[in-house]
Amino acid sequence: MASVEDRVKEVTARVLKLDSNEIQPQQSFTEDLGAESVQSIELVAMFEEEFGIEMDEEAALSVSNVSDAAEFIAKVCKEQGVEA
Amino acid sequence: MRLILFDRLSDSRKQFYPLALSRPIWELRCGITSLADKLIAKIGSQDVACFVPPYLADVYRERKSWPVNDVASLSNDDLLLVDARVKADSNDFPLDGPSQAICSPTGELLVARVTAGDLNGLATDSLDGLLEAVRDKVTVIEQNVQTWNYTWELVLSNPDQLIADFTECGRSGIEGAVEQPNAIRGNAADVYIAPGVVVHPMVVIDAEHGPVYIDEGAEIHPFTRIEGPCYVGKQSILLGAKCREGNSIGPMCRIGGEVEESIIQGYSNKYHDGFLGHAYVGEWVNLGALTTNSDLKNDYSSVTVCLDGKSSIDTGSTKVGSLIGDHTKTSIGTLFNTGAYVGAMALIAATGKPLPKFIPSFAWFIEGVVTKGFGKRKLYATAEIAMPRRGGEWTAAQLAMWDEIFSMTAPPREEAIKKGRRLLKSQNS
Repeated sequence: MASVEDRVKEVTARVLKLDSNEIQPQQSFTEDLGAESVQSIELVAMFEEEFGIEMDEEAALSVSNVSDAAEFIAKVCKEQGVEA
Repeated sequence: MRLILFDRLSDSRKQFYPLALSRPIWELRCGITSLADKLIAKIGSQDVACFVPPYLADVYRERKSWPVNDVASLSNDDLLLVDARVKADSNDFPLDGPSQAICSPTGELLVARVTAGDLNGLATDSLDGLLEAVRDKVTVIEQNVQTWNYTWELVLSNPDQLIADFTECGRSGIEGAVEQPNAIRGNAADVYIAPGVVVHPMVVIDAEHGPVYIDEGAEIHPFTRIEGPCYVGKQSILLGAKCREGNSIGPMCRIGGEVEESIIQGYSNKYHDGFLGHAYVGEWVNLGALTTNSDLKNDYSSVTVCLDGKSSIDTGSTKVGSLIGDHTKTSIGTLFNTGAYVGAMALIAATGKPLPKFIPSFAWFIEGVVTKGFGKRKLYATAEIAMPRRGGEWTAAQLAMWDEIFSMTAPPREEAIKKGRRLLKSQNS
């Protein structure tokens, strides 16, 4: 099964129309990957759908890069009893 | 005699959402005045108290000098208790004589007169307790009491109510400044321009088919056409508006574009072009440029409205526009479908297509679906900035009220968010 970080990259690539192989863990969604505010909202929705979780939108939107997003999502999965 | 207005949480109350989410039903407008103004004028009582859903009480106390949810108001005088939905003009009220309760054929207690003497033997420690005791111990009369049942009824009644209210207020003539050249069509006696109003040159006020009342401090910019019947509220500004018949515009609004047979509660902006018809718009709403609502279906069939995100109600009317709750904002180019329900505190980004007929409160409608967006705190922050611009204030009581409304309106919003995620996923696959 793909790691949380790999799945985050796949979702990010789909939403932002990028190649997932070119997405690096430390890249910022907005500054490096070009996510506009509407796409940030879309990313949160797509992460929730991908992992089957509910995230607090303010906490989720405060996460800035891919690696931190993977860590945040893994934590939420654990809290909500969802296998990541 | 003390008039007690009451507005209790019930399924029938939900029929006035999203407008009544943040105010008692009697604060809704129809014609020149609110439903409360009409009840008070009809009953003629100077002594008024009220009972509202608990979550509204603190905010309403900030707005009104009346006792709100104060059980002390249920004693020491004859009482006339009136449900918020009772129509003032269509009913006779028991202003004297013995105690009596008037119930609808379905058993709802809508009006009750209780003498001070009879109050001594009744529970007065809560409104619900008193109404229960009245039903048990006082003569009950079954009567077909005329009530308002849905928000769109106010919109559909607005033109006739404007005419009735203009006659009732008895004002006429020009007390403000009307700069020339200008045109007033129809009977000059059907126009009232209050003190402090400024009507710029090149404005047409057409009272041929109904009266026009422009209230204190309003400003009418050039190339505005106002067709009667119409009411323009205090300090509102019309900016070259095509203001067709049957509009009630509350205080401190900014109105441009085309507006027809609509009610705008107050403090809202529809600055730019775009059509608003047969709509009821709450307070602190901002409609972006070219926001337009449909109020007529292409097949001329009656319009249905969905109030809960599930089932639709046939309005029985071919003309119903949007119901838009307080603090909702729309982007440029937003298109609302016929009979759209747009919740309060929603943020709408246009898609280029007519939007769904039900948009929940606190929805961030982005990319054609309901999302969590940036959450409610971002919406509150916007309200906190917007309100002082028109003399309002975002208070701790408002924060608590909106938090409660956020919880009350969660089920359809959460359902819509889940549906939105599935749609986004399919779009991104």
